[in-house]
Amino acid sequence: MLQVTNIEKSFAASHGNVTALHDISFTIDSGQFVSIVGKSGSGKSTLLSLLGALDTPTSGSIVVDDVDIAKLSADQQTTYRAEKIGFVFQHYNLIPNLSALENVMLALEYGGMPGRERLERAVELLHEVGLESEEQLRRPARLSGGQQQRVAIARALANRPSLILADEPTGNLDSETGKTIFDLLHKLSRDEHTTIVVVTHDLSIAGKTDRTFTLKDGTLATLKR
Amino acid sequence: MNVITRGVRNAFRSPLRSGAIVVMLAISIGLVLAMLVARSSINQKIDSVKTQTGTTVTVNPAGVMGGFGGGNPLTTTQIAQIKATAHVSAITTSLTDQLGTTDTNLVSSLELGSFGRRQQRFDNQGSMATSGNMAARPAPTPHISVTGTSNPSASISSDQLTSGSMIDGASSGNVALVGSDLATKNDLTVGKAFTAYGQTFTVQGIYKTATTFQNSGLILPLATVQALTDQAGAVSNVSATVDSADNVSTVVANLTKTLGSAADITSQQQQAENSVTSLKSIAQLAFYGVIGAATAGAVIVLLSMIVIVRERRREIGIIKAIGGTNRSVITQFITEALALTVVGGIVGLVFGVLVSGPMTSSLVSNSQTQTATTQRMGRGGMGGFGGFRQLNTLSAAASTNIRSVTATLTPSTLIMSIISILAIAIIGSAVPAWLIARVRPAEVLRSE
Repeated sequence: MLQVTNIEKSFAASHGNVTALHDISFTIDSGQFVSIVGKSGSGKSTLLSLLGALDTPTSGSIVVDDVDIAKLSADQQTTYRAEKIGFVFQHYNLIPNLSALENVMLALEYGGMPGRERLERAVELLHEVGLESEEQLRRPARLSGGQQQRVAIARALANRPSLILADEPTGNLDSETGKTIFDLLHKLSRDEHTTIVVVTHDLSIAGKTDRTFTLKDGTLATLKR
Repeated sequence: MNVITRGVRNAFRSPLRSGAIVVMLAISIGLVLAMLVARSSINQKIDSVKTQTGTTVTVNPAGVMGGFGGGNPLTTTQIAQIKATAHVSAITTSLTDQLGTTDTNLVSSLELGSFGRRQQRFDNQGSMATSGNMAARPAPTPHISVTGTSNPSASISSDQLTSGSMIDGASSGNVALVGSDLATKNDLTVGKAFTAYGQTFTVQGIYKTATTFQNSGLILPLATVQALTDQAGAVSNVSATVDSADNVSTVVANLTKTLGSAADITSQQQQAENSVTSLKSIAQLAFYGVIGAATAGAVIVLLSMIVIVRERRREIGIIKAIGGTNRSVITQFITEALALTVVGGIVGLVFGVLVSGPMTSSLVSNSQTQTATTQRMGRGGMGGFGGFRQLNTLSAAASTNIRSVTATLTPSTLIMSIISILAIAIIGSAVPAWLIARVRPAEVLRSE
């Protein structure tokens, strides 16, 4: 379960402090597929960074599986990210000089899996997201956008995380490929019982998730079940 | 694939840039090696020159050098003080003199020449070679040098004795060792007689050395020369042998203190120090060269890695976002820097081995003009009497040594080079590592 309580996030700017998130509270049950929508600058990506322990809130708490990640040290946050979180980004963010297979194996390495087991697990994951054996050996530059995003999803799933955070996962894809990727995430949510939080502009996608949060100027405006 | 493999692979991610970095590093590391080889070889040569110079301290009466200058000879008391000085194991004393045409029936084997005429231009003004001989002198002729010595073996080695036997330096007999040129000129052989100082001398041996000057002289027992020149107990040169090279400077200091301004004291070590001064300067120059080249290498790695880290800031953020620790990312980038440096180092070592010989020779030859000039001045200043064997040997040794520095790559130099390479990589990676630690994944990913 993910429980967010009264979190605030401020940034220092040249003209003073800017509050990106203000008094955000919500709870997400395990295995739920949740979308966060809102205009640019509404604080969606900032909220995702806080949930993924990429950043720490100015105040408030974020409890994941009974652990307040806002109070973890930098090293503990790194371990938390490696073991509990899977990230999927709009621009895929794969390591360019590693093959699709090596990108997935890299996440497994940071997750602490022994070397001899990584290859088998990475191949299995890439097959699961629909990447053929020959494609698995290609570098990201030689894969289509949809294929790269599949690799990114396989990487996010590598360490069997309890939470997958996807920032505009279909934002860089055509509508058909975007739908395929969304369906893949949805299926994973069901099959693996993984909690998925997706930030999106696409209201048609948001409408298909279990719940939708709307952010407006850093505050939680609506919450749709 | 582990972090080390990734680091090595990343090092050659951009072949063109990696190649340029490797070439620059190779030049830098090659220069480090060449300078280290030059420094090491020159230092070895300096040590060698010092080792070969022996442990002799020369004491001359103040103001006297060979046959030139003026002043009083060293006295029996002063000789006893020298002998009693700590660490002095033995002494050889000598007194030099010259024979003119009225002092001997021998004819000098030397041509007077313009130098001789210049040196003897005052002879007709009444100077005397021996006491009590007031006869008017003819036109200047070359003098015959006489060395009275307590230890003839210190002046002439047994190898240089071509016939006859060594004289006893402690005797007071009228026996002589005759230089080969002088013997030939006067048809002297062992057992024949000649006159000097109004006395008859017997030729006990004939010697031949490398110098015309020595081959034109006479060596007599010290006491004989002292008696015949009315200088009982006086000597013009003392060669003191010190028990260890480490004690030479102490003995020189003690003798300077004991004898004060009455004597001029020089040691072979001091002369060796003077002869290797230019080599020391080159060794120091080479040391600064090592530091400069190593610094240049470190700066090359540093700037390259800063550029690489800045370019791959996003990648670092991604790695951190998916669970990569600071340590693992830094290890990967240091491995990358190390891989570039090692490849540059291997190429550089080959380059360094190739250029170290010519570079060492070039550095040494550039200093030879100055060194050779100094040596020529040193020889001219000796004048030519007494204790010349050691001094000439030293001079020749120094001359040969300074001109024959051979670049040698020793294991210690190689180890120093490898340490320099590692230092270059580590120093060059330090700042990039700090930059990596400061990368916050949220900031990097937010910028997308």
